[in-house]
Amino acid sequence: MAASGGGLILSLVIEESVVKKVLAEALRRGGNLAEIYVEDRSTTSLRLEDSRVEDVASGRDAGAGIRVIAGERSSYAYTNVLTTDALLEAARAARAGLAGDPAPIAAQMSPVASGARHPVGRAPESVGAEAKAEALQAANESARAAGAEVRQVVCSYADVHQKILVAASDGRWATDDRTRLRFAVQVVASRDGQIATGFEAPGHSGGYELLELHEPAAIAATAAAKAVTMLDARPSPAGELPVVLAPKSGGVLIHEACGHGLEADTLVKEASVYAKRRGDSFGSDKVTIVDDATDGGAWGSYAVDDEGVPAQRTVLFEHGVLVGHLSDFLSARRIGHPPTGNGRRQSYAHLPLVRMSNTYLLPGPDDEDEILRSVKRGVFAASFAGGEVNPATGNFVFGTSEAYMIENGALAYPIRGAQLIGNGPKMLAVIEAVGGDFDRGEGVCGKDGQTAPVTTGMGTTLLGRITVGGTET
Amino acid sequence: MSDLLDLARGITERAADGEEVEAYVTHARDFSVKAYDGEVESLSSSEPRGAGVRVLLANRIGFAYTTDLTYEGLDWALGRARGNARHATSDDALAFAPPWEEPVADVPGLVDELQSSVAPDDKVAFAVELEQATRAADKRVRTVEESVYADSDVEAAVATSSGIAASYRETDAWCYSLAIAEDGDDTEVGFDFDLGRGIGELDAQSTARRAADRALGVLGATKIQSARMPVVFDPYTAGQFLGVIAAALTGEAVQKGRSLFAGKLGQEVAAANVSLVDDGRVPGAPGSSPWDAEGVPTSRTEVIRGGVLQSFLYDVVSARREGRASTGNAARAGFKSAPGPASSNMALRSTGESRDDLLAKAGRALYVQDFHGVHSGANAVSGDFSVGVTGRLLDNGVLGRPVKEVTIALPMLDILAGVVAVAGDMRWLPFGGSFGGATTLIAEMTVAGA
Repeated sequence: MAASGGGLILSLVIEESVVKKVLAEALRRGGNLAEIYVEDRSTTSLRLEDSRVEDVASGRDAGAGIRVIAGERSSYAYTNVLTTDALLEAARAARAGLAGDPAPIAAQMSPVASGARHPVGRAPESVGAEAKAEALQAANESARAAGAEVRQVVCSYADVHQKILVAASDGRWATDDRTRLRFAVQVVASRDGQIATGFEAPGHSGGYELLELHEPAAIAATAAAKAVTMLDARPSPAGELPVVLAPKSGGVLIHEACGHGLEADTLVKEASVYAKRRGDSFGSDKVTIVDDATDGGAWGSYAVDDEGVPAQRTVLFEHGVLVGHLSDFLSARRIGHPPTGNGRRQSYAHLPLVRMSNTYLLPGPDDEDEILRSVKRGVFAASFAGGEVNPATGNFVFGTSEAYMIENGALAYPIRGAQLIGNGPKMLAVIEAVGGDFDRGEGVCGKDGQTAPVTTGMGTTLLGRITVGGTET
Repeated sequence: MSDLLDLARGITERAADGEEVEAYVTHARDFSVKAYDGEVESLSSSEPRGAGVRVLLANRIGFAYTTDLTYEGLDWALGRARGNARHATSDDALAFAPPWEEPVADVPGLVDELQSSVAPDDKVAFAVELEQATRAADKRVRTVEESVYADSDVEAAVATSSGIAASYRETDAWCYSLAIAEDGDDTEVGFDFDLGRGIGELDAQSTARRAADRALGVLGATKIQSARMPVVFDPYTAGQFLGVIAAALTGEAVQKGRSLFAGKLGQEVAAANVSLVDDGRVPGAPGSSPWDAEGVPTSRTEVIRGGVLQSFLYDVVSARREGRASTGNAARAGFKSAPGPASSNMALRSTGESRDDLLAKAGRALYVQDFHGVHSGANAVSGDFSVGVTGRLLDNGVLGRPVKEVTIALPMLDILAGVVAVAGDMRWLPFGGSFGGATTLIAEMTVAGA
């Protein structure tokens, strides 16, 4: 029994009997499946700018969303009033437009065997706001000590504690308890009219121990060093060049250019460049790409997804061959495979979407120094400011925030304004070397107006030839 | 109407001696429906509500929000805001909005009274018509990734312990379609939208046509040779460009060293024909409201006139740092966020040309219909601007060969200095603010392709 076995972890007590009543109400006019998603989220965030701790904020957001699936149609209604009456009203709103006979719900709710919860060493709630403010001050002082060129430092701290319950008329009953924490530093440096920025923002699924693994002063020093270095940047060249991607941040190319096109919602609509290409070879045997929501403590991890499906590891490309995709409940049904546990939502106010979790180009056989030495003239992309892709065409653009010119196998000087522009499948084809120096980077991915925490990762990687957009023709 | 205001007042009345309290409470009714292949794919309805509370205590501000609007829930938020204030840095510029000296006039055109009586079935039918019309626009439209109709009816109330207490309502309706067109090996996408205060202001047929045309127009696109050439931003990309520079035009961005316009007040920052206005009181425009997110009456600010930078945009705190009054430019991303300065409705004034005249004037140019990678390629601090684009080659005013996989680059101040003409075809773009986009000719940019 879920209420005793799986356990209601939520401080909002919604009993199993109420959940069943709501699901029955949602299916009173027919439909194939009804589901309720209950969320209780607490956040703390602090921000420092201009050496002042400015925004000290706490939030409590709790609510429930009810979904009714009838054929290919999903209807959703949510409320942030968690009374039985308000939930029943949301159930009626979610079934609006249906006119059939009542559909049954499972007699018993059965807890889903979820993946491992990601351990929280030190609960952020147990740490006072004063210590968090001091961490910001320490980061600020460290960044400002990097040199007179440092003009502005913005530091932010955020923790989120999210508890969820997913229950559905098929008997699914799943809970998760997620704590995420992130510390970000942005530094602006200027000299002789030139302005450059540096950004560093580690995060994880876990507690306040993040700030022991990554000390605020060290995070800030890294961001400041980037900003000061980039002050010396010369304009980026434009044209087709070899590009070496640094570990960590370079993984954003894999996320954007390969991951999004393998989200099954785009595949079933044939709105993906990878549709109907399973089994095709796109790259060399050095290219193995996975999405792994079970990666211990990673920023994009979870125990169950937001539809109650256990987190899992999915291989997308194996030695260059397209072998997998990512799906949520609905797209899995349409594609005829079990869901891969990639149904995620920003909050109870959002319908689930197919989303990546932690997406990695696995470590390859090459040595990072050898990779650099092999390039006569090219670009070394150390950090990206972000990027975007059109899954239908595979076309992408990525902006670098830290990049260097490579001349005769060595970094020659920093360059500014370098953009990488290309196409997902074509990029996979030009991955010529993959280093063993794998590392992760944290980010926030946007899709259909929803955000999700995601991790990217790779080792030093050589793209034989790709278009670099810059200011020097 | 008054329930929400009573709730806001109920919070500020609990202010303790020596502190000021501000409450911002919203209650929305949201609806959206997505159609696919002639059927409803998904439909969502909701009535979210919540409160954001700020406490000003000994020159420090703390903030908390909650969705629990019971007495206990609001008390928790007030207590947390008060506790958080103790950990902020003392700053004597901090303040809430000053009490109003006179009643604040409404902005007309924020509510379509008919909207609340529109049946959900009519909204569903609209989304299906939009999707079907997008498909039917041309046989090369292979699929429609998304066709959406959505609306919102929001009431917002603000109250301060110093006596501000006001609420207003606005209705919004919008739709968009994302067409995927295919010809031979090439696939391209086209996005377009429509918006208004009610469903009656939206046109499914013309939105579908525009979305399809944007995809069809760039089918078969290829790279072009790298060159320096004139560039035309279409209304969509021109609006996005304004969105980028708007972030650097607040007083706060300048004070905090985050603006490429720092130190340039009173100087030429654009071509002599460039005038840029922010106006929170444009009747019916998406960014309009009678008062801003702190309860300060909205206003009209000339930001650039005749190419010369005239003013930045201010909220209460950034204004106090310069000993001036707020321009009514505080904004919030809902009750969960504390206010900060932002543009309201920002637009370049037309230089008088029609779109056709402007295209003829451009000669041989790159016509840009989509930017790619704006959030990484455009830096409002350094002024760097280097983005990927999709578009067409213009030859003597005629849109010709489609172009993709090229980047355009030029520092933002050089782009503003290079503005040759702004056409009269302005439309409001509601993405990350409200920006008036009109076809705009830039003298020359670096185009990087093959």
